[in-house]
Amino acid sequence: MEYHFTLTYQLTPADSNSQELVERLGEAGCTDALVGIGLAGRLALEFDREAERAETAVLSAMADVQRAVPTARLIEVAPDLVGLTDVASLVNVTRQNMRKLMVAHQESFPIPVHGGSATLWHLEDLLTWMQARTGYHVAADVLEVAQTARRVNVQKEWQRVSDTPSRELLALAR
Amino acid sequence: MARRPHPKKEIEAAIRHAEDEGWSVEVGGSHAWGRMYCPDNDKECRCGEFCITSIWSTPKQPETHARQLRRVVDNCSTHPKKAENPAEE
Repeated sequence: MEYHFTLTYQLTPADSNSQELVERLGEAGCTDALVGIGLAGRLALEFDREAERAETAVLSAMADVQRAVPTARLIEVAPDLVGLTDVASLVNVTRQNMRKLMVAHQESFPIPVHGGSATLWHLEDLLTWMQARTGYHVAADVLEVAQTARRVNVQKEWQRVSDTPSRELLALAR
Repeated sequence: MARRPHPKKEIEAAIRHAEDEGWSVEVGGSHAWGRMYCPDNDKECRCGEFCITSIWSTPKQPETHARQLRRVVDNCSTHPKKAENPAEE
């Protein structure tokens, strides 16, 4: 199966030579990715990677990048955190349609990760919900990538928090 | 035409498509064949990282790489295709 996902990284000033960076990525086997170097200090790789499972595809891609650019820090694996517009385009419905679904199914609609001027969900939650509640066809590879992306992103955040949560925190933050 | 063509014809076609949409192309590199620059890299633009996109000399799959390049050009926020989809809010 060919899995489609994007990795974005924060670069250190030592890796500011983008030409050299791209050569190292090529050497490390990232020639199945589109490399974006349009933002200073950032690196984006849009992969179409062949693998048995999404996790294998994502982790091997991350390992390739780490080999090429050891100091780069992962910002996120996408698609995971999405707004209604993003998920609408991923499952080929209009944003308006997506909004209608949300309003019509308020009690069962997935809880967002962030609710502000822009509301964000984990894509996995939206896809699973849509598949179960609305009969929309969700491609298996897209769902698998969304699950893997979420696991990597949450794990990354968790490692950056690092300390053990208190019993009280665990009981309340559910 | 000044620039050297890409050896893979499907990629060359994708590069020409980018040029037709106003992207500029710079040849150079070894694993990299060159790079393409979005014509509208300003603060209104949302494509960000891919405003400068690297083009491989020998990608794993030329057809896939050509498709990736076309996707960047067609998803560019200032590309006319976006204008056909007015905001629904």
